[in-house]
Amino acid sequence: MIKLKINNREIQVEEGTSVMKAAQQAGIDVPNLCWHDELEHFTSCMLCLVKDGRNGKLIPSCSIEATNGMDVITDDDEVAEARKTALELLLSEHVGDCEAPCQVACPAHMNIPLMNRLIAAGKFDESLEAVKRDIALPAVLGRICPAPCEGACHRKTVDEPVSICMLKRFVGDKGTGNVIAPAEETEYKVAVIGAGPAGLAAAYYLRLRGIKVTLFDKADKAGGQLRTEISSDILPPDVLDKEIAAILQTGVNFQGGKSIDAEMFAEIRKEFNAVVVASGTIGDESSGFGLKATPKGFVVDKNSYQTSIENVFAIGNALRTSRLAVRSVGQGKEVAFSVWQYLCGQPVKGESRIFNSRFGKLVSEEFSEFMKESAPAKRNYPDAGGDHGFSAEEAVAEAKRCLHCDCRAIDDCKLRIYSDRYQADQKRFKTSERRKITKLTTHSTLVYEPQKCIKCGICVRLTEKEGEKFGFTYVGRGFDVEMGVPFNEELEQGLTETAEKVAKSCPTGAISFKTTCPPE
Amino acid sequence: MTSNFQNIDRIIQEKGAEKKSLIPILQAIQHEYNYLPEEALKYLAEKTSITPSEIVGVASFYKQFRMQPAGKHLVKICVGTACHVKGASLVHDAFRRHFNLPQGTDTDDTGEYTLEKVSCLGCCTLAPVVQVDDITYGHVAPDQVDKVIADFESQQGKKGAKKFRKADGTEIKGEIRIGLGSCCVASGSGEIEQEVESVVNRSGLRVKLKHVGCVGMCHQVPLVEVVPNEGEPTLYAKVKPEDVKRIIESHFEPPGILSKIKSRLFHFAEEIQTDRNWDGVQRYEISMREKPVASFLGNQIPIATEYRGIINPLDIEDYQRRGGFSSLKKMFEMLSPDQVVEEVKKSGIRGRGGAGFPTGVKWEFVKKEKSEVKYLICNGDEGDPGAFMDRMLLESYPYRVIEGMIIAAYAVGIHHGYFYIRAEYPLAVKRVRKALEICRENNFLGNDIMGSGFDLELNIYEGAGAFVCGEETALIASVEGSRGFPRIRPPFPAQKGLWGHPTLVNNTETMAQISYIIREGAEKFSGIGTHGNTGTKVFALAGKVARGGLIEVPMGITIHEVVEVIGGGIANGKKFKAVQIGGPSGGCIPAEYADTPIDYESLTAMGAMMGSGGLVVLDETDCMVDMARFFLSFTQDESCGKCTFCRVGTRRMLDILENITAGKGKPGDIEELEKLAEWTKKGSLCGLGKTAPNPVISTLKYFRNEYEAHINGVCPTGKCTGLITYSVNDDCIGCTMCAQKCPVDAIPFTPHEKHSIDTGLCIKCDSCRAACPVDAIDVK
Repeated sequence: MIKLKINNREIQVEEGTSVMKAAQQAGIDVPNLCWHDELEHFTSCMLCLVKDGRNGKLIPSCSIEATNGMDVITDDDEVAEARKTALELLLSEHVGDCEAPCQVACPAHMNIPLMNRLIAAGKFDESLEAVKRDIALPAVLGRICPAPCEGACHRKTVDEPVSICMLKRFVGDKGTGNVIAPAEETEYKVAVIGAGPAGLAAAYYLRLRGIKVTLFDKADKAGGQLRTEISSDILPPDVLDKEIAAILQTGVNFQGGKSIDAEMFAEIRKEFNAVVVASGTIGDESSGFGLKATPKGFVVDKNSYQTSIENVFAIGNALRTSRLAVRSVGQGKEVAFSVWQYLCGQPVKGESRIFNSRFGKLVSEEFSEFMKESAPAKRNYPDAGGDHGFSAEEAVAEAKRCLHCDCRAIDDCKLRIYSDRYQADQKRFKTSERRKITKLTTHSTLVYEPQKCIKCGICVRLTEKEGEKFGFTYVGRGFDVEMGVPFNEELEQGLTETAEKVAKSCPTGAISFKTTCPPE
Repeated sequence: MTSNFQNIDRIIQEKGAEKKSLIPILQAIQHEYNYLPEEALKYLAEKTSITPSEIVGVASFYKQFRMQPAGKHLVKICVGTACHVKGASLVHDAFRRHFNLPQGTDTDDTGEYTLEKVSCLGCCTLAPVVQVDDITYGHVAPDQVDKVIADFESQQGKKGAKKFRKADGTEIKGEIRIGLGSCCVASGSGEIEQEVESVVNRSGLRVKLKHVGCVGMCHQVPLVEVVPNEGEPTLYAKVKPEDVKRIIESHFEPPGILSKIKSRLFHFAEEIQTDRNWDGVQRYEISMREKPVASFLGNQIPIATEYRGIINPLDIEDYQRRGGFSSLKKMFEMLSPDQVVEEVKKSGIRGRGGAGFPTGVKWEFVKKEKSEVKYLICNGDEGDPGAFMDRMLLESYPYRVIEGMIIAAYAVGIHHGYFYIRAEYPLAVKRVRKALEICRENNFLGNDIMGSGFDLELNIYEGAGAFVCGEETALIASVEGSRGFPRIRPPFPAQKGLWGHPTLVNNTETMAQISYIIREGAEKFSGIGTHGNTGTKVFALAGKVARGGLIEVPMGITIHEVVEVIGGGIANGKKFKAVQIGGPSGGCIPAEYADTPIDYESLTAMGAMMGSGGLVVLDETDCMVDMARFFLSFTQDESCGKCTFCRVGTRRMLDILENITAGKGKPGDIEELEKLAEWTKKGSLCGLGKTAPNPVISTLKYFRNEYEAHINGVCPTGKCTGLITYSVNDDCIGCTMCAQKCPVDAIPFTPHEKHSIDTGLCIKCDSCRAACPVDAIDVK
């Protein structure tokens, strides 16, 4: 047995164990990208660097055997900076978006590409479910949203953006009932003050977590400014009613006709575990709540919406006056998360946005690459006129125009996870023009996007080990090296039996399954 | 398709059908087709156990292999350090213009010529150098490209054409050089010059008269050197005017009149070029190589280069007459393997490949390993721009290197060895191959060497063009037939090397010094140099020095001695600025530290490195940011691409440097460059990446103000084309020379009027400035 110290802990491992494996056995995670359990070490990504405390040198822990008397440090500032720098170097040549730009641009951070794909597949109920994960009022917003998402849409660079807003409206109109069932009822009680878009959304997402919600509004009917400030031509009352009803049906206790003054607010605070203030632009009533405020609105933590009072949160126009309903709706979802953290006794940090790789604007050489996964048709407009929305056929046709900009490896990309963990800055080494994106889509089950590749060589080593006839190989060397099928054979030729294994082993989204989940 | 590949069947039969034969097979295929046709490679995959992945991976890794057909003629433009500082990139651009090559192509549309950048042709004193097939052109200026090609074409098909010619077709019989250093002038070289001129004019000889700067032998002035095209140059000391006629006649008259008044002092096997007033292009044969500079004032000690200029490389009897192989006799008769190792350890010799690991200790490591099979590799994969000592040693002293290998093999207990030689060194390969053959015939190799009972077989393995293969683990991967990826150490090659067996890898120069240690004894060797840095080191001295070439000096000699005494100082009266030592892994040491001794530790402390031994002298006109960019562009291009810090780190450093030298630098760039250099050094897997930032770090250390000036939009030396503009000043006499030379018509043809330059059209090729007879072109 080998005795060594890792982070000042004495541990014993079998002879021949790598430093990385030794650390893992001691429960210490060491990040790695080029490591694969079935393959020999390769020492490429350099993310597994740790410090040899005896001489202060950084060593790649996946490739070095643990020896007696080693004193390894895996988590000091220098090691962290080394990993961060390695990630930033990799990110500087990693050309691709994690989340699609539309989703990043959406104030409610809605998973737009997923909605599009479900519509394109004719799965309208599922698409409503996807929408309602992030947006409580799709039919409403589908009529009034200024659609920042469409401004960011890559398809806009090709011809015109996907008609995302209209698709959302279609989903909201077409989808039926409450597609997401609330979680099991808890004992937590939360009051939401104000039943405008922010308050309605907050109430909805708190309910989905099983929280008992009481929603107060000074008006008799819920809807706030949606009901008073928007003409019924644009937002017909029945559309609003239907969508509000769906929210209230989840079990929200709506108390209309109740203006909340300072006294009542104090009582509510006592009676409920937490309070969400969504009462609109602050005025005389709310000024007595005892919350820290500026003339514009309440002061909150920008991630958690927590006010100066621990169990009081504030969202929407109560923070500052804005006419962007989608932002209020998004905040309603986010505050539910913060409130949940508070109720569970966790640190109240709010929903954090994970790292996103971005490549910027699409350039003309890339149009054809992105169009490989899309329909060439021009943007659709409802035949019956804008007031009527898409027909199902129109919606499907329009949804097919989506370019699938979101990465298929969005949830399990190691590069993304580590970039987030080490707070990597993708723009740090933006020192020259980026590579042009290509997409190889001819394989029956896989897509290969070479510019996402980080050259870890796992695909080459795996196909070699598994005895693929062609497999993958390195083409070229140095910075310009690419992984490809030898003799420019088709992808299908290179990855036959090993296709699934290679896709699963790719640490980024360079080689991934065509469908978002692996075939069973 | 299978029917057409009998030639490939033959190659496979010759080289073997296994992966380890892959590189030799590919070399043979390329020899047949001048590139690697995909169909041929597919056939190879079908007929052997070598997989398509291995074939494509290897073929695309090494520079030597071409996937597209090349032109009929290959134009190699040397972009080594010495050529770079003398404007090789302008020459390269001029060739691209000449052949009208769009970006991304290197063969002209007639398919006649392919342009190729090479890192060093080993003729640094002729810089900038261009090789067209097997003819070498020296001192090529950007405006001479047409002449070079015209001259090359005029020579096509002419057998036995004169190898030394001017572009105007006249023959040069040689040249006479007169020292014009201050001592020479004081001693009367002016009178000598007049006399030489008059003798030459009267005789009608076609001889060039050249002035050279101080050659350092100030106690022997005045000096006259006669350099005939064939044969050895001769240096005459303390010449009197009345000697001149006879000196010249003895060289250039028909043989017979051999008035031997000459005091033949030194063999001078080097071409000195200190000024460049050539009209035409100069052409040399392919074997034109840098030869050692003779020892002045005795500060050179030839060990690896013993009997330089005297010994015939392949004459084994000549070699033996001069003590060759006597160390073997002594060893086999008197020394046990342990004693040999002990002797080498005692000598203190350290690996001459750069890192300076004690050779004897390395031998001991391999010796200790319990393994039936062990291998020996002589590392001749020199690929440094501006270093060619390994090539010179292999070409000129193959027996000495073989002798060193026999000693190493005997000491360590090895019976199989390889010469790893770059395929770009065809002459070295040829010489060593022949030398091995002769050694076998004479029982210096094979079974029972010299009756000692010791067996050793040595073979040649030709590298295929990858600088990283100088790294021993990458070199081993290459011999095994793989991409030249380095591996993490440990395990060291001494424990697990070639095909998993203990392997001793030593540099060529190290091997060339071993026989001396055994023959003369460790003490004699360790008496040379300084404590901890014993013996000698061979350097390729080049750049702005008056007298460049290969030198072998004792360790611990100062930079000052090398530059001023051996190199004869800076040419053309410019100011000495810095030396770049160690090539792309080394660094720049500024003139104020010229008293730094040249040894492993002192150089490292200064931020440079012994490296493989390039020593490039820079003068005040050299831009240090450009130097850093130059070296980094080399290592970046040579990165194998395995690890993140080297693959991407060097690329991003180069991006920043390119931005800075292009005038696109911004505040913060210098700091980011510095940080990234530090991380690339710390985080890279092998020596290439770990040392690649050195040129950047050392120039940042000593010349930071130059970086800052670039950020502020000024290149202090006017070298960086992105930061300079060309204009005509009032000295212009309206002679139209500039307009005639301008390749892009940026100067209107206006005789007798002051010329002007259209800066929008100007490509900053420097042709106008070189052409102007009155220095009327300003570069600011």
